[in-house]
Amino acid sequence: MNVIVLKNNLKEGLSVISGARKESGNLPILRNFLLESNGGKLTLASTDLEIAITYSVSAKIIQEGSITLPYGVFSQIVNNLTSERVSIESKNNTLLITADNYKAKIATAPKEDFPIIPEIKNKKNNSCDFEIGFLTDSLSSVVTACQISDIRPELSGVYWSFKDNEVKLAATDSFRLSEKTIPSKKFESSFNKEFSCIIPLKTIQEVIRIFSSKNGDKVKIIFDTNQVSFESEHANLVSRLIEGKFPDYEPVIPKNFETEVILEKNDVTGALKLASSLSNRLNEVKFITDENKKNVNIFSSSQEFGESEYLIPAKIKGQNTKVTFNWKFVLDGLKNIKNNSIFFGFNGEEKASLIKSPDDASFLYIIMPIKSS
Amino acid sequence: MDLKKLWEKTLADVELQISKPNFLTWFQNSRLVEKNDDSGVVTIGVNNNFAKEWIQSKYHKMILEILRNFDSGVNRVEYVVLTGNVEEKIFSQPKNQPVNEVGQTGFAEFSADPETNLHPRYNFKSFVVGSSNELAYAAANAVSKEPGKKYNPLFVYGGTGLGKTHLIQAIGNEIMKNFKNRIRVKYVPSEKFVNDVVWAIRTRRMDDIKNKYRTIDVLIIDDIQFIGGKERSEEEFFHTFNILHQNNKQIILSSDRPPSQIPTLEERLRSRFEGGMIADITYPDYEMKLAIIKNKTQEKNLSLSDEVNHTIATKIQRNIREIEGIINKLFFYKEFKNCDIDVKTAEDIISATLQQNMVNINPQQVIKCVAEFFEINSQELMNKSRRKEVVLPRQIAMFLMRDMLGMSYPDIGDKLGKRDHTTAIHSYEKISKEIIKDKGLNQKIILVKETINKNPS
Repeated sequence: MNVIVLKNNLKEGLSVISGARKESGNLPILRNFLLESNGGKLTLASTDLEIAITYSVSAKIIQEGSITLPYGVFSQIVNNLTSERVSIESKNNTLLITADNYKAKIATAPKEDFPIIPEIKNKKNNSCDFEIGFLTDSLSSVVTACQISDIRPELSGVYWSFKDNEVKLAATDSFRLSEKTIPSKKFESSFNKEFSCIIPLKTIQEVIRIFSSKNGDKVKIIFDTNQVSFESEHANLVSRLIEGKFPDYEPVIPKNFETEVILEKNDVTGALKLASSLSNRLNEVKFITDENKKNVNIFSSSQEFGESEYLIPAKIKGQNTKVTFNWKFVLDGLKNIKNNSIFFGFNGEEKASLIKSPDDASFLYIIMPIKSS
Repeated sequence: MDLKKLWEKTLADVELQISKPNFLTWFQNSRLVEKNDDSGVVTIGVNNNFAKEWIQSKYHKMILEILRNFDSGVNRVEYVVLTGNVEEKIFSQPKNQPVNEVGQTGFAEFSADPETNLHPRYNFKSFVVGSSNELAYAAANAVSKEPGKKYNPLFVYGGTGLGKTHLIQAIGNEIMKNFKNRIRVKYVPSEKFVNDVVWAIRTRRMDDIKNKYRTIDVLIIDDIQFIGGKERSEEEFFHTFNILHQNNKQIILSSDRPPSQIPTLEERLRSRFEGGMIADITYPDYEMKLAIIKNKTQEKNLSLSDEVNHTIATKIQRNIREIEGIINKLFFYKEFKNCDIDVKTAEDIISATLQQNMVNINPQQVIKCVAEFFEINSQELMNKSRRKEVVLPRQIAMFLMRDMLGMSYPDIGDKLGKRDHTTAIHSYEKISKEIIKDKGLNQKIILVKETINKNPS
């Protein structure tokens, strides 16, 4: 192989595929990535056997070929190069990197040693097309509620459900739950029946990372029985799906509220940040409403340091209540609401509360309270 | 040669021919799924798509040769990615999360198995059997061994917090354990059934409901009394019931009262419920309560002195759920204050909890509910009449005022028509004795209590 490529292109490619490599583990070849010329383009690919990312950049191909080389070493070289253009040439088992005033030789391994990246062959009635920015926004809004650990594998991902011409995304760690509904006009799909699956958290994070900078473009998502692929013009990501059944979360969503409150988002985030500095080990923050006073009191106390109160002007309807939450969880929910006005629906100190924007029903955030001692 | 052995021998050979990391990476969790003796096709299940692609392109020849060495009939090998059908995976229950009774609460609905809706916590082992529930337990046990054959439907009834849900879920879990995935079990609270029917009517998908409920082998419906009066749900349930019953599928129902006393239930359903086995669960006696307390404390690694156990068992009269609540509180107390619990603290905690529950009940309400239940005028309870229809309700009212509100005897007498306190004492003692002997009376008092608790002032 012999190619000349712009350093910045290489850099971008290496950063895109960085999420799918594995520096430790049984198989040393996974520390390598694949570099391959492919019809006037240079393709970079990496995998950790859970997901695989490929990305192509433009380059001048003098001689076609393919090779795998250690990611760590190569990216260090590329990141520190000062010259604009890099020439890459492979000879037997070594790769020659040449730039202005610089020359390096790295040991490589043949493409045959590198895992074969699976492709979804069946492409009938199993794909959805999205506008990239919209998809990554929607995914980011639910992903915060995912379970980080793998105590319950089916919760360590984002639930994807296609039903009644809508896509619903949901995530939960069993303490809070977020749900985003995408109406049919926002995507095109070739599904002809109901469909659902769970996409691993890491995959979603990678999708958001890789695609969020590419507004305007389209991305095609293809689902298979045990894998999913995201395909755009330059980047392509294949991932396994999580086996198992996502819990039937419909009954968790509260329909009626004992107390309904409307607040300004900036007020709440400010109040929570202030309250957090005097909150205890469990991050407890109390929401106290009083219908007559027309404000919500955000109260926090720590045995060690003291206590604080913050009054937020609010529209309140319903009975007076005191509910304790983990302030981090509340903040996670607020972050995903674009609107400045926020609806809180409380149901006493033991049942789930709901946070949403009063004029956008497509996003819901449900949060369980902390049992106060 | 069985498939497992054949694959083990093959793997032993493969291991010799490829490097250790490669072997571990690609052949991890692999197994021989199927061997078709006629066509000679062997299907091998592997961990993921990467392994499938890799083995197919790199090791296919080697595997085919090795397999042929052991079994000359093999002429083709196919690969599939293993999905959830691996037996042990189906039964992998969520790993035990640390019990934290105080702190961040989670969605309780999620700890149930999504397929069967059963909560793994409920099993026969943790169910304490005593004279008050031995009939129900025996029936449940028989059903779990041979679902659909004996006692169909099984109808369990009893007051709140006595373990109906525990028992019927335990049947489901036991059946799942005994029959693995050969039998489809589904536990549904009756509210969910009603919601499903409403949804189906709204979206015109009645067929979905029919398919969903009529393909089940063991259908468990909790709190069936709530279906009473909801005509479409009753009708849908009636048909589902018939189809399941005709096909010898097991049906298990629970309710807070016997079928004959569910007021709005249609006659045809009532007669069907009564056609199987009806078992009741009544209030636990002292020894049983003690056993339950010991069980629960053991579960939580909490040890209480015998005196404290005795206090809880005597103070909490009926509801087992209350016992659980008290133990949770004691547990928290112990953790928080880091000291042992003596009888005094236990008593304080118990009385605080019990008072909390009663806070909204007043004597007028007791009188009103008793009068309504026996369909007499509440004035009659308070006047001098000594007609038989009035005397018993009046005594029950006195009993409840003492039992639920802890009122003094003179006060009770005063509230019910300026009677002497000895009358109140007599009534209380009489009813206390009667309910132990007379199941019917006991049942009535439970129902009255529940209506009182449901209608706070």
